[in-house]
Parts: sequence; C-alpha cells; structure tokens
Amino acid sequence: MELPIYERKDRVPLPPKDARVQTTACAYCAVGCGYKVYTWPVGTEGGPTAKENAFGADFPTGFEGVWVSPNQYTVVLVGGKPHHCVVVPDSDATVVNPGGNHSIRGGTLALKCYTPTGPTKDRLQFPQVRVGGKLVRVSWDTAIDVMAAVSKHVLAKYGEAAWGMKTYSYEFFENTYAITKLAFDSIKTPAFAVHDKPSMSNDTAGVDDAGIVTFSAAYEDFKAASVLFISGTDPYESKTVVFTEWMMRSKAKMIFVVPRRTMGVAYAESKGGLFLQIIPGTDALLHMALSRVILEKGWEDKAFIEAWVANAWEIDSGFGRGSRNTPWQWRTTWGDIGAVDFAGYKKWLLAYEPASLDFAARETGIPKEKIIEAAKLLSGGGAGERARATFLFEKGNYWSNNYLNTASMASLALLCGSGNRPGRMVSRLGGHQRGWIGAAPYPREKSPERLPGRRKVELDLDRWVEKGEVRFLWVIGTTWTGAMTASQELARTVRKLTVESKHQPASAKQDDLIDALVKRVDAGGMVLVDSDIYPVNPLNTELADIVLPAAAWGEHDGARCNGERRLRLYAKFYDAPGEAKPDWWAVAKLAKAMGFTGYDWADDNAVFEEAARFSRGDMLDYYPLVWKAKKEGKKGHEALRDMGTTGIQCPVRYEDGKLVGTARLHDSTLKLSDPEGPTTHAKWLTAFNTHSGKALLIKSPWELFADFYARIKPDSKKGEFWLTCGRINETWQSGFDDLRKPYMAARWPGNFVEIHPDDAKAYKVESGDVVRLTNDDVLIQTGGFNRVEAEEIKFSWLEKEGHIRIGKGQIEAIAMVTPAVPPGVLFTYFLFPPNPFNALAHRVADPITNNYRYKLAKAKMARVGESPYKKDRRFMSFQRRDFVG
Amino acid sequence: MTEPLPLAAEPECERHCGPAGSDRRHFLFAAGATLVGLTIPGLGVAQAKVAAYPRKKVGLLSKLKKGEAVEFRYPWDHANCNTVLLKLGQEAAGGVGPDKDVVAFNGLCPHMGWDIPAKKFFAVPGIAGPCPGHWTTFDLTRYGMVVSGHATQGLPQVLLELDGDDIFATGVLGLIFGFHDNKAEPKE
Repeated sequence: MELPIYERKDRVPLPPKDARVQTTACAYCAVGCGYKVYTWPVGTEGGPTAKENAFGADFPTGFEGVWVSPNQYTVVLVGGKPHHCVVVPDSDATVVNPGGNHSIRGGTLALKCYTPTGPTKDRLQFPQVRVGGKLVRVSWDTAIDVMAAVSKHVLAKYGEAAWGMKTYSYEFFENTYAITKLAFDSIKTPAFAVHDKPSMSNDTAGVDDAGIVTFSAAYEDFKAASVLFISGTDPYESKTVVFTEWMMRSKAKMIFVVPRRTMGVAYAESKGGLFLQIIPGTDALLHMALSRVILEKGWEDKAFIEAWVANAWEIDSGFGRGSRNTPWQWRTTWGDIGAVDFAGYKKWLLAYEPASLDFAARETGIPKEKIIEAAKLLSGGGAGERARATFLFEKGNYWSNNYLNTASMASLALLCGSGNRPGRMVSRLGGHQRGWIGAAPYPREKSPERLPGRRKVELDLDRWVEKGEVRFLWVIGTTWTGAMTASQELARTVRKLTVESKHQPASAKQDDLIDALVKRVDAGGMVLVDSDIYPVNPLNTELADIVLPAAAWGEHDGARCNGERRLRLYAKFYDAPGEAKPDWWAVAKLAKAMGFTGYDWADDNAVFEEAARFSRGDMLDYYPLVWKAKKEGKKGHEALRDMGTTGIQCPVRYEDGKLVGTARLHDSTLKLSDPEGPTTHAKWLTAFNTHSGKALLIKSPWELFADFYARIKPDSKKGEFWLTCGRINETWQSGFDDLRKPYMAARWPGNFVEIHPDDAKAYKVESGDVVRLTNDDVLIQTGGFNRVEAEEIKFSWLEKEGHIRIGKGQIEAIAMVTPAVPPGVLFTYFLFPPNPFNALAHRVADPITNNYRYKLAKAKMARVGESPYKKDRRFMSFQRRDFVG
Repeated sequence: MTEPLPLAAEPECERHCGPAGSDRRHFLFAAGATLVGLTIPGLGVAQAKVAAYPRKKVGLLSKLKKGEAVEFRYPWDHANCNTVLLKLGQEAAGGVGPDKDVVAFNGLCPHMGWDIPAKKFFAVPGIAGPCPGHWTTFDLTRYGMVVSGHATQGLPQVLLELDGDDIFATGVLGLIFGFHDNKAEPKE
C-alpha cells in the first residue's frame, strides 16, 4: 500500500447555516469523546460571519473557540451525491471532552471516511472468493450460501468445536449481539475468541476475583483523587482526553509504573509524582512489596478493611455450592492461590520472601526508597488524613504476568481502602470502547480444554487451530495473526490449512466452491472467511477463501459505551461503499441460510432493541431506555439519539419517571430505594461483586510464574534484549486508518523501535536507521488441553512433557534513539503492519487464565541500513517524546 | 477524475528552493504561496480564488542569534497571527540562510488555540512546546509536525525568503488556528 503524501492546506470550507448536523462519538479509544458531524451538498459553502455558518461564530475565532482544521474535512457520498463533511469535537460537550477537547486520533476522524478518489478508496466493497490464488467478486447470496453449506457439513460431521469465530469485542452492540446469537445461542461453539486474546477468558481475572468490576470508575473520579496509581499504560498516549481533561485538571499526584519515560511520566514528575521504572514482568513483586511496607508500618485503611474486606466465614459463603467447576471458583479456592481474610493475608505476605523490599527492589529495578515513598503516597503514610488513591491499569500490567499482576494490585488497592467510593476507585482505563452485548453465555461446558482437576476452561482458539481441529473459521474485524503472539508461526499454520491445501475451487461458481471447500475440510484443512473494511495482509490478501465487505463507523447507526459506561448513538451520516453491510446483517443472512430462526431484523434499531433485554442486570444494562422509548412510541435508537453526545451512563435505571445514569459501580455512597419498573438493582451497584458483597484479598505466589520468567529473561551476554510493546498517541491499532490519513502517515510511516543511546552506540545505530529484530527462541505451547494434576499448571511441566516447540519471528523497525527506555530494553509499537511486534512474542498463555503474556518478548538486534525518513523531513520526527523544556 | 491543483510558478521561490519541478518545491507549495482554491478529491474545484500572501520584511539575517526569538505578526495584524522566528543552529525543513537554519512558525497551537510563548521555542533540540494547554510538542526542523500530542495539524510554518540581509515572510504552510482561510484578512 502506497503511503499518501501529506499536503498542507491553508483554507477549509465552513458548513452553511442549513448544513445537517448529527452527533456521534469517536471510533477509536476507550475515552469516547463526543463529536458533531456537519454534512452539506457540494456546490455551496458557509461563510465566516456568524449568520453565514452553522457554528454561529465569527471567524477568525479565538482561544479554545470553534475551529475546523483542514484534517477535519472530507467529501463523502450521501444518497449517492457528493457532500462536504466536517467532523469536529463537540464544543458544547459537558461530559468526557468538555469544551471540545480531543486527541489527534479522534480529531482526524473525517479522514477515516470512505471517499472514492482519496486514500480510503481501497475499502472492500463486494464479497469475494479466492480462485486460482486471486480474489474474485461474487454476490452476497453466493458467498453466504457457500458459507452455509460448508458450515452445515462441518457441524454435522465434526461438531461445534470445529466451527469457530474470531471477532472484535467492541464494534457496536448491534454487531456483537448478532455474532453471539449465532455463535453461542444457535450453534453453541466453544471455538470462539475475541480480538485481543486466544480464548474467551477474563482479561483481568485477578481484579475480578477480588470482587471489583473493571470499568467501575467514572472519569470524574480521576479528578477527585489525591493520588493516581497508573500501572501499565500512559493515558497521555492512549487515553488522551482522560489525561488532558480529567487528570491534568486534577490536583492528584501520579505514580507511574511503566518501563519507559513518556510525556505523561514527564508531566507527573514535574508535578511531584513518581516514576517507578519497572523491569518488564515484575509488577506482582512491586505490588506485594508496596502492600508489605504498608502493613509493616500499619498504614492500611483499617476502617475500610473492617467494613469491606471479607472475613473467613464471608469468603466461604456461597462457595460451598455445587462442584466448584467454574474458573473463578477454582482460582479463588484452589492450591497456592485463593482468597484469605485480612489476618491470613497479612501473615502470608509478611513471611513471604519475594514480597520483601530487597527481593522486589532487585527484581523490579526500582530503588527501595522509591517503593517506600510510593507506599506512603498511596496510603497517606499514617498521617491524619488518608490519601484518596485511585488505581488504574491497562495492558502493561495484565498482558504480562496476567493473573498474579492483577490479583496483587487488587490486594494493594484494598489495603489502601480503594474500590468503592468517589475518588477512591480501582478501574481499567480501557483500550477499546465497551461494545459487547452477549446474546447467550459462552458454552464453557463444551470446551475441550481443562485446568488441573478437570475443571473446564475457555478454549484457546489459536492452539486449537494449530492442532488442526478447526475446519471453518469466520474472522470479523480483526487482523487475527498479527494480533496474536508468535504471529508469523500462526500465519504459517493457517497458510498450510488453507491456501496450501490441494483442494482449491476451480471457479467462482457456487457448486465448484462448495465442492472444493468441503473436500478440503474432509482432508483436514480449514475454510477461512474474513469480514473487514480494508485489505489486510496476510489475512484476506493472501489467506481467506471468502472476503466480505463491512460497513464502518458512520455508515450505520450503532450504539456502545465508553470507558465510563456512557452509552451514545453513533449516527449514520454517509453511504457505505459498494455493497458493504454492517456485520449484524451478514451474520443474520448466514444464520437464516443455515436454517436458524430469530434473525429477521429490519434495521440497526431492531437489533438494538432486541439486545436490550440481554443487557439486563449487567454492567451495560440499557434496557430501561428501550422500555421507556417503546412506552412513548419511540424507537430505541431515536431515544438515544435525542441524548446527543451526553448519552447516559450504564447501568441505566428508571426512577420517578426518569432515566438515571450510574456514575460508578460498587458505590458505597449511592442511596437506592426499591427498583422501579424495568430497573435491576445488582449487588455490585453499591457493594463488591462477591457473594457477601465484600472484597477478597487474593494471594499471588511468584512461584507460579517464576519458572516461565526465568526461561524468557533475555541474556545480555548473548545480545538479547527485553522487547516490549505498547500504543503510541498518534496511531490507532494496526494503523488501518492512519496509514490512509496523509497527516498521520507522515508522522508514523513505519514501525519504530526505541533504543537507549548506550545500546544504539554499541550497534552503530542512529535515529532513522532500520534495524532488524529477531527472536529465534519464540516459545510455542502445543497441546496441553487436558491438565489433571497440580504441577501441570507450571511452565516447567509443559516443557518436560514436550508441549513447547520453538519458533522464530523477525520484524524490521525504524530506530528512535532515546534515553526514555533503559539500557537492555527495547520498545516498539504493538501492531504496525507488516511488522507486528507479536511475531516475536511467546505463545505460552498464563496457565491460570489462558491469556497471552504479550509484553514479554525478547529480541536480538542488527542494523540494516538507513530508512528514507532519516533525511526526508516530511516524515517522522525523531525528537524526544518526553521533552518538557 | 481529479482536477489537478494548478501550481503557479513562484519566482521568489526559485532563489532559495532550487529548480522548478523538484519534489521538495512541490511539497512546500502544494497549497501555494499563490493559492488556487481548494480541490475536492475527484469532484471538481469548489472555488477558484486567486489571492496572494503579503510579502513582509520581518528582520535582518545578520542580527539573528541562535536561540533568540524574533516575534512579529503575519500575515495579518491579528492576535492569532503571532509568529516566532528562530535561528536554530541546525538545518531545518524550510530553513533559510547559509546554514538553512532560520525558520518561523505561527505561535498558536492548532489543537485548541493556546498560545505557545516564544520562550518555549527551543533551538536545541528544535522543539516548540510543550504547549501550556495540553502539552503538545512540535518539531521545528520537520515542518512543525507534532512530536507528541494532539494538534490535528502541525504548527503552521511561515515561509521565509532572503533578499541580501533582509528576511521576508512570504506565505504560510497550514491553516492558522481560528481562521477558515489564511488569506481572508480579519475585519478589525
């Protein structure tokens, strides 16, 4: 794909007074800023005086005034006719991004839109099938009928576990509801995973097991806190407006726990905060050391612990039921992990060697004095007034030592009295927005995978595909291989199962397609379908048998929540290209072709209204909104549209004839009377999410991770580096939009790697040079689906039993020499095509939760040559990103 | 069908920019010191408006000291047109002078229109910022592109030309915050 060239404009058309204006929210990060979209037919323009433009403003405007940047403008087709289109942050917003604050990502949303002659012109427009190695256009009917025939054959002959789906978890309620209806209700397959993990596991089980729902905070809690513990993320980079609006305006001191110095870190230090620069993988040790310091000094929140931490009887309450067969029951009662009361936790921790300051300081690389200082800040240090500490975390924390990092952090937060009141919360900050409504629960009872003791666990789809057990897979809206660990190895396996099979269709005729694909299935191969908005290398450019075009943001009415559970309508404002359709439509068409009933939705709203019933009692409950709309003779979507960019925070309650939002969960200060009408009062509205309503302290023994950690630690004598990854402010996900926005492509035309000056010097690397990063020691788990005895949870057992093979990964990236990373650690972007970091990451899931430890890869480095951007000043700045003057 | 955006030959440009037709010149002047309307991709030119940026003398090359800002307003006498000229001491995109290190940029952050004061224009390392509003930084050696931050456009670069010792401002690359058209002179 050619990089578009950025040309600066010095003029932008203004919307006239009668331009159509619609509200939406951002397509990108969890924050979910509110935006306004102005469309009007090409041929007219507004003018710079207040009575001539839709803003009612005189241009030039002033400080923080309404303004249209040239990168907020495009031309789209509405009803087939070209329209000017301006997408700007809502300057009238009072929530999320008050006054029209925005990030560079959402700020350039207009450039995302399909326009027939711009860089977005390569949108997928028609269904295609692969014949003779090339993609050939077919009708929707043909594509779906082929999928239905193959699916019916696979289900009849090989069972549900041979029919799989790999989809996003966030791209609007209407789509995820339809997807889960097909996968979990109609077909009941356990071979299902969402975009960022190999199984339907719980990302943050350690926090959830403590009784804390991970999107419990409101953004205003960040402002109300006096100290923010920010683990595994820099929100300046990837949750930008949460940082610039709700954290910068707060008086809170920030404690950052990340491996490298970014702008957020620099800001925090400038305001008296702390930078705990951590060696990758060691967060659990830091958390335990902090907890131990607090306990040794008596700084814990005794009143909170007394009132809100479960005692021994309360821990057991409810656990005595049934067979202890669910993962969370198993985790919280079994073996070395498991919940204890406060006295038990204190006794364990104070005697636990890895939680000592010496051990922790040595392994984490964080000096003892800093650990003590952080403990003091978080607790208040025994002073009269306790700190109001809010604990926030993201994937640097949990895509690492997944269970133990989250469990130990939750325990730390509870000792500080956080989790259930304004300004003192525990919450994920989010990556994507919250767009999942499940039509049915994941059928775990059908999973062929088991934990020790034969307890069922959600199936690892990647490993199941590698084993050759998946005969049909429908991927929707994710790059899959690039997003999973050992990416190149996985892609190789998928290639063998699909394009390297000798069974390939002779033509695009329906009979030829079905004949060849069924033969392939029976020969042990796989049929791969991919729904996306763009060509994706290699998933649909080279591998998929059937490629379906999806409608994107702005091309259908959609609803979802942001990181503080705020529900908005994302309006349709322009035409989808060609025959692209929303994914719910494609799912419904397949379901009907397979003979399932209940998929007769006339439009986006019909799905939204049906899905409402399935949101009842959950975190994103919006059922009262639909219930009230129907009482008033309105469509659900219209009622939501009327709420503009403010929307309403879920769970939605109906009180006194009005809809009321819920600011935060576990809110001990919230006074509720009896639930009215369609309202559901879940326990976790005002208490923790456990049987007793009290929180659990979960132990986090380092030994469960130590053998894997020892195996993967880089050996600097062999020239090995820690290679870790993350997001960057100016890129979203795989850059599928950014590489088509000339302004953004100029900033990041290729993947980068941050290298410390000492390391760069040793390898004769300068900023702008291309380096090759290789890992010939990518650990890949095979098999191990049935674990029986306790020791089988350990990595050393997997190795001993021959369940680990060694693979390779290699990528290239453009060097950025900076002291922001420490020596011995390299940092790169996580998903930049065609060089995904994940190619070098090990595929050995956390045995307790089946989540990947993405952040802990290893690499050797070699200089390749110069990139064009070293000297071409139109592209890519190599200045320090943490410069504060 | 895309109608090509007419590029007027710019005589002053050739003095410091090199021969006509070079890629660099096309990039610098894609929106032109002499602008011709706005091309809507594939759908025709919305308006053809020929107008010229004023040519304004803003300083003397011999008086410049590395790192010492020279402030003026360009293209109009309006607060949004505050401009900072700086001798960086390192070669920069669009830089004039024997060392190609004299550049000038508009002082309003294109994120939300906060003022980036002149003292936050650093010749070393060649960064403007962090903007006091939300801490965006800009690379003064690479056309004012965002280093780290939120602006949906780089810091607008004021184009300079040398005539002997005289420094002239001759155009602006990028739309100034608050304006809808750089060449629309504000009423007051």
